[in-house]
Amino acid sequence: MNIPLSWLKEAANITAATDELIEKLTNTGNAVEGVEKLGEEITNVIVGKIASLERHPDADKLWVTQTDIGSETLQIVTGADNLKVGDYIPVAINGATLVGGLKIKPSKMRGLDSNGMLCSVEELGYTKADYPEAPENGIYVFPTAQPLGADARPIMQLLEEVADFDILANRPDTNSVMGMAREAAAAYGNRFTSPAISLKETGRGQASDHVTVEIQDTARCPRYIARVVENVKIAPSPQWLRRRLSTAGVRPINNIVDITNYVMLEYGQPLHAFDISTVAKKDGKHGIVVRTAAEGETFTTLDGNQRKLTTSTLLIADHEKPVGIAGVMGGENSMIRDNTAMILFESANFDSSNIRQTSRALGLRTDASARYEKGQDPQQALASVNRAMELVELLACGDVIPGMVDVYPAPRKTREITFNPQEITAYLGAPDITPQMMQQFLTALDIETTIDNPTTGRATIPTYRADMAGAADLAEEIGRMYGLNNIPTNYSHTLNTATPLIHIDGRPSDAGKSPCRRREDGFKRKLTAMGYNEALTYPFESPKVADKLLIPQDSCLRSKTIILKNPLGEDFSTMRTTPLGGLMESISRNQSKNNANVQLFELANIYMKGDETVAQELPRLTMVTYGKETDFFTVKGSVESLVATITNKQPTLTQAGAPPYLHPGRSAKIAMKTSPNPRDPAETILGYMGEIHPQVAKNYGLSTRTYVAILDVAALHEIADAYSFKFTLPPIYPALERDLALKVKAEVTAAQLEAAIREKGGQILSEVKLFDVYQGEQVGAGFKSMAYSLSFRTPERTLTVEDVEKPMAAILQNLKTKHDAEVRS
Amino acid sequence: MLDKLTAIQQKISSSLDSIKILAELANFRVQTLGRKGELTRLLKAVGSLPPEERKELGKKVNEIRDQILSEIENKKAALEASALAESLITETIDVTLPGKTSPAGSLHPVTQFMWRLEELFISLGFDIVEGSLIETVYHNFDALNTPHNHPSRDEGDTFYIDETHVLRTHTSPMQVRTMERQKPPIRVIVPGMVSRRDEIDATHTPVFHQMEGLVIDRGITFADLRGMLDTIVRYVFGQEAKVRLRPSHFPFTEPSAEVDISCYACVTSKPGKLLPPKDDCSVCKGSGWVELWGCGMVHPEVLRKSGIDPSEYSGYAFGLGVTRMTSALYGIPTLKPYFENDVQFLKQF
Repeated sequence: MNIPLSWLKEAANITAATDELIEKLTNTGNAVEGVEKLGEEITNVIVGKIASLERHPDADKLWVTQTDIGSETLQIVTGADNLKVGDYIPVAINGATLVGGLKIKPSKMRGLDSNGMLCSVEELGYTKADYPEAPENGIYVFPTAQPLGADARPIMQLLEEVADFDILANRPDTNSVMGMAREAAAAYGNRFTSPAISLKETGRGQASDHVTVEIQDTARCPRYIARVVENVKIAPSPQWLRRRLSTAGVRPINNIVDITNYVMLEYGQPLHAFDISTVAKKDGKHGIVVRTAAEGETFTTLDGNQRKLTTSTLLIADHEKPVGIAGVMGGENSMIRDNTAMILFESANFDSSNIRQTSRALGLRTDASARYEKGQDPQQALASVNRAMELVELLACGDVIPGMVDVYPAPRKTREITFNPQEITAYLGAPDITPQMMQQFLTALDIETTIDNPTTGRATIPTYRADMAGAADLAEEIGRMYGLNNIPTNYSHTLNTATPLIHIDGRPSDAGKSPCRRREDGFKRKLTAMGYNEALTYPFESPKVADKLLIPQDSCLRSKTIILKNPLGEDFSTMRTTPLGGLMESISRNQSKNNANVQLFELANIYMKGDETVAQELPRLTMVTYGKETDFFTVKGSVESLVATITNKQPTLTQAGAPPYLHPGRSAKIAMKTSPNPRDPAETILGYMGEIHPQVAKNYGLSTRTYVAILDVAALHEIADAYSFKFTLPPIYPALERDLALKVKAEVTAAQLEAAIREKGGQILSEVKLFDVYQGEQVGAGFKSMAYSLSFRTPERTLTVEDVEKPMAAILQNLKTKHDAEVRS
Repeated sequence: MLDKLTAIQQKISSSLDSIKILAELANFRVQTLGRKGELTRLLKAVGSLPPEERKELGKKVNEIRDQILSEIENKKAALEASALAESLITETIDVTLPGKTSPAGSLHPVTQFMWRLEELFISLGFDIVEGSLIETVYHNFDALNTPHNHPSRDEGDTFYIDETHVLRTHTSPMQVRTMERQKPPIRVIVPGMVSRRDEIDATHTPVFHQMEGLVIDRGITFADLRGMLDTIVRYVFGQEAKVRLRPSHFPFTEPSAEVDISCYACVTSKPGKLLPPKDDCSVCKGSGWVELWGCGMVHPEVLRKSGIDPSEYSGYAFGLGVTRMTSALYGIPTLKPYFENDVQFLKQF
């Protein structure tokens, strides 16, 4: 909320410098976004008087003035036609600065010297709405004589400091000049007193002679006050009022509208003024009925728009028709016009959620609805309407009819909170705060407080403080008035160690981290050591990603997609069901920048509808890479290295069942036996890897072959737990190495050969390593050469050449039988 | 015979002088001392001499043999030394050729900073809990005492999955979930991704990272919270860094405060010094303070809803804006590169 500080200081009875006031308010919880200093950029604009006025000899449209500024008389040429000799006007003398940084310098206009500029309100940063007495396209003329040469800014009320306050969501009571003045006074240790209101009430009869009010739905409208003004004279408001409105950011319109806006800023209470002649009479009185709309009822609001209503819309109506939408906007049919003679002022209270709902449904948010949404105190409706009446009398825009119609079936009452001052001192950890100080702080905030004894206090909470419910709220008020920064700083709790937490996986934390989290951190470290850069992508993406990744229409990756109700556009509308979308975009971006050899990884969740739950979040570790030296086996190596951080057993890759976004001939399922027990045949799928399908690559505009591995992190944890680590002593005796080059048919796989070798290797075969694969002329078409290095070892002794002869023969025989393998010499 | 012997010795010595490479020396050794060598033949001939001559001459031959042997060994050592000296010269490499590196990977700056904070909290006895992005409205709002008309519940601010599920807007729901699971004492941090319905611009992304802290025990006070904040701030921003609290409002804490940190771009920009704020500082706009976190004493209602008796226990909570702090520490001017994953950005960390 923008509050002109002259207004705030006046209301709070504070004369302090602005910086000090702002700091005090900030430290007590009323944050200021900024203070705008209006009129500060305007300099050297002073009062002058037109001493003479003649047509410019060489220009029809210019006037030459001799302008008296007290100390001298300046020749100033102007194009304005509204001046006459004797007018007092604002003069920007040479060296002056105007709005927008415009500098005034001596100039020649059609051959004549002009030493300065006579100013319009626009040149001073305002419009005719702020100064209705100002002429159209002319120089501003002061309504009364002013001292010549005086600074024009205070006379025109150009100078103002406006603070933009951040109103806290739980403190709608501070969203007004009076509310903030209460905070300001309290910050200085003073108790704010509301100004007394006195009325002359010169109108005839009683308000109740003219108006009746019936509330049909008191839950949605707890209070409705109507006051009536007759002999209304619609006119512009005086300058002081217009200035306050416009500096607070509200456009002045006419005295009646301005009064409602002024009181809304001052007291926070929205008011509405109806032309009472448009409210139908029943039994001789204008009858206001607060009722809910009928389904489909239509109504034209004063902005000229026809609105379709529902049964949740609360209306201000007469016995025949609606005249306004409660708390949101008045009707076109009942608005104040220039000839309005009698006005009904409404000061009412409406249920905040209903106003919020209505405002949303209609797509219509007004200053009034915004305030009602945050919650208004029905008690303050009375002072507000009376203040409006006081202004009506002050501005002489009508005769206030005595009395009012106030329907308020269940008045809101103050509440008492009992509290233990000792406990509050302890809670804040500030032993210096005494019960007497508490009483002082709370009383300054208008919270009447009695301290019965050191352990019992009673605080009476004003009706406008709906945020306060218990002792903790009092502790907050006391804490902020004492100054949160004055509370001691205690380190003794900082180094306490609590009982370790039992994590979701059922195990106690391991020095602060769950075993899973510790392992995941290990994966990240390993991947960065292998040259991968950690990526971060959005958890939501476009539904088009599924198409780009060639996900079949009937896939659960589509049917189990979670869709956001209110996304930021289609590109962010679905929760990802694969971890690839964002990473493919990232790869594409890197390629477009010609970044060579890119390796990215991300450990992030995918999201799927559960069978019985709204959402499952499934962690995936995804590696994506491309580069000159990169191929399928680079990524396979990365996967193997990663698995090696949890077990020394390696996963098995099979060329089947890979997802649709991978190249069918260059992809594999990654699996491991679920347990190291050789009799347990169960298998755990760790994930998939391979080359990105050429069509997918095309969809993402990729120019190089890109490889990806997607690992199911839960499966990795499962394997890590199952293959728990056991220590064995390192071998004492050296290994005996044998190399073996085989010629086999091209379709025989490495896995098949290795299995055949291991099958006959016996206990002493400790390692089988493929070190060369060759296909070409020397082995002939359809064949390949596979060269292995075998290590034999036994813990008992150093093996001799003779020891390995038998197993080697068996291995060769097995290779021959199973795969028709020949030994190459 | 003796003359012959001397002649052979001289011949051997002189030809040894002319040998320049090790291989020749090995041949030479075979030729002279081997089975068919001249000296060996002479030694054999000694056998046919009369015993008194045999003894003397035999002794002489052996002397000469030992002498030659040692000359050969000396020669060998000299040749080896010169060969090594030569190879040290010929093997000289260009040390300015590029190294054979493995590519340098990196953790995302957000992770790095997150880990740095985690280390602090683990050292202080905290446990790490994480939670899910998709959260119930109950845990994200209701249990955190957020009124039904609170603006943070708006569809304009929060992503909804359905009536009862949202993308969590803060890590605070894990306060509730932790308290539901475990009785005090509780000391946890919640690092994680959160989501708010903000359009992407230089300072906003619809997801970002936070770290929540929660401490619940008997007799926890606001002064303890101050101590903790001070500890965190000095750990992250240096020993001189200061904290300023501004009373504020969060539905789940009471009292609540915004945590301002002495500006890292000017006030604490030099380690070991506290400088006056700079008027033209782009971070604090000359105020000397940067608003980074929120904190407060856990609202009794939140304790109650989570099954903890507020008359027995109290506690504090704080929310650290990890993304903002990461930007602050590395001087990353916009959030744009965080989700682009350009390796030219990532590799720098």
